[in-house]
Amino acid sequence: MNRTFVEMAGRRLPLSNLEKVLYPSYGFTKAQILEYYSGIAPFLLPHLKDRALTLKRYPEGVEKDFFFEKRCPEHRPVWIKTAEIPQDDGKWMTACLVNDLETLIWVENLASLELHVPLARIASPQTPDSMVFDLDPGDDASILDCARVALILRDLLSQMGLASYVKTSGQKGLHVFVPLNRRETTFDDTKTFSKVVAEIMKKHYPDLVTAKMAKQERKARVFINWSQNDASKTMVCVYSLRANKKPFVSFPLEWGELENLARLGDPGRLQIIHSEALSRTENKGDIFQEVLVKEQKLPHL
Amino acid sequence: MAHQGIWSGTISFSLVAIPVQVVKAIEPGHISFHLLHSKDYSRLSRRMFCPEEKTIVPPDEIIRGYEIVPDKFILMTDEELESVSPERSRTIEIVEFIDMKEVDPIYYDHPYYLIPSKGGEKAYQLLVEVMRRTNKAGLAKFVLAEREYLVAVTSREGALVLTTLHYSDGILPDEDNSLKKGKIEAEEESRMKKSIEQMTEDFNPGKYADWRKKRLMDFLAAKAKEKTPVEAPAVEEEGEGGPADLVAALEESMRKLKENR
Repeated sequence: MNRTFVEMAGRRLPLSNLEKVLYPSYGFTKAQILEYYSGIAPFLLPHLKDRALTLKRYPEGVEKDFFFEKRCPEHRPVWIKTAEIPQDDGKWMTACLVNDLETLIWVENLASLELHVPLARIASPQTPDSMVFDLDPGDDASILDCARVALILRDLLSQMGLASYVKTSGQKGLHVFVPLNRRETTFDDTKTFSKVVAEIMKKHYPDLVTAKMAKQERKARVFINWSQNDASKTMVCVYSLRANKKPFVSFPLEWGELENLARLGDPGRLQIIHSEALSRTENKGDIFQEVLVKEQKLPHL
Repeated sequence: MAHQGIWSGTISFSLVAIPVQVVKAIEPGHISFHLLHSKDYSRLSRRMFCPEEKTIVPPDEIIRGYEIVPDKFILMTDEELESVSPERSRTIEIVEFIDMKEVDPIYYDHPYYLIPSKGGEKAYQLLVEVMRRTNKAGLAKFVLAEREYLVAVTSREGALVLTTLHYSDGILPDEDNSLKKGKIEAEEESRMKKSIEQMTEDFNPGKYADWRKKRLMDFLAAKAKEKTPVEAPAVEEEGEGGPADLVAALEESMRKLKENR
């Protein structure tokens, strides 16, 4: 195994197999992945902070097997921050907290191309910071259909007095976030609210939307997955890479931009690749930042 | 053996710091039953009920109160509760060493094993051995899940055991229970001593098993063979619609939205 050492914040971190190609059809190496994550870190880290990380590791690259790792690997350096997470069965689990660049680089050295986190932080595991609608197109639907659903959803939420923010999933879907950042709001609340919203959307746009998980039902429609609003679920973090053929990123879009792109009708324009992610954040900063701070109360609960 | 770590950090005293994990030492294995509705075998769920309004209370209307005199409460918010909770800690700091024989077993609460983490094996072994030879226990403070425990760390069969101890103000006095001292008759005393001697054996807990648990499991296994189990109805995912207010507000918003489009 080829090892290189980097010195960061006074810590010596061994990096292995830097030249290994992890996105074979795009020719993207582990060194380039580390480079992406160190460039995006200032924008990504606030969204990972104090959340129990689920690693999705692709040790042999995106075309080979992957595995989820909810437990923080045991062979971790002592300075990695961890948290004890109570499990449904009453047991406890140690999870990694990615609160600094060194930890992010360590995690990426483990080829955890995708970073998944819960909607709640470790200090208040039953309090989601956001309500989320995971828009997932069926086999015969596309990301453009998702964009149409997302725009209706934005307007509906806005009528209800709620601001929302959208990001690409980095695969075929979109994620609509409604920031809450209130201690009083529970997953029961977000689940109830999002489910009713999904059902109303389905009732009024039956050709476009389904709120059911069944594959057949989803075929030409967009599935509004409200069940992600759960303490035990994780979502791919904004600015995380995805394991596609190309290194696309789960990336935030301005609503106006989504409107334009939906009008143009080119699904390719709705995928943000690593280099574009870096140049966009460089110019515009973190346009998903409001999700972390904006306080909103779900009405009529 | 698969260790289910419930905490990881270091155990330390003076200049020694050893990375360790806390794992469960006992698994009582209670048999638990679900509560079902006798009419349709539905799994029953608990709700909070307000006897005043005669309604089920939603979670956001539930707060905490400490009863100081009957029906008079001091309210306590999450923030206030957190402000008095101990800080999360990554160390088990041994503050003194004691003779374990001095600890009255009534103080023992719950045992855990301490196992060495990567890099701590050698120092761990040394501590296990020295504590075995000196027959001492380390007394420490330990924070787990927002509570601070007083714990005793002891050496047992090549491993460290951490036992949480009750605080002394949690131990009830026994003065009300103990009888007044009377005169002991010499003959009665020697007869009782003799019976105790006759019944004395080495402690061998393996001889005893949880008989009720075994009989219960056998009974359930036999019954499962004879009778088909009853089935809970599938939980209706669709259609209940959610809070009426919310549904009405969303319908109204949707109507406005469609007008403007």
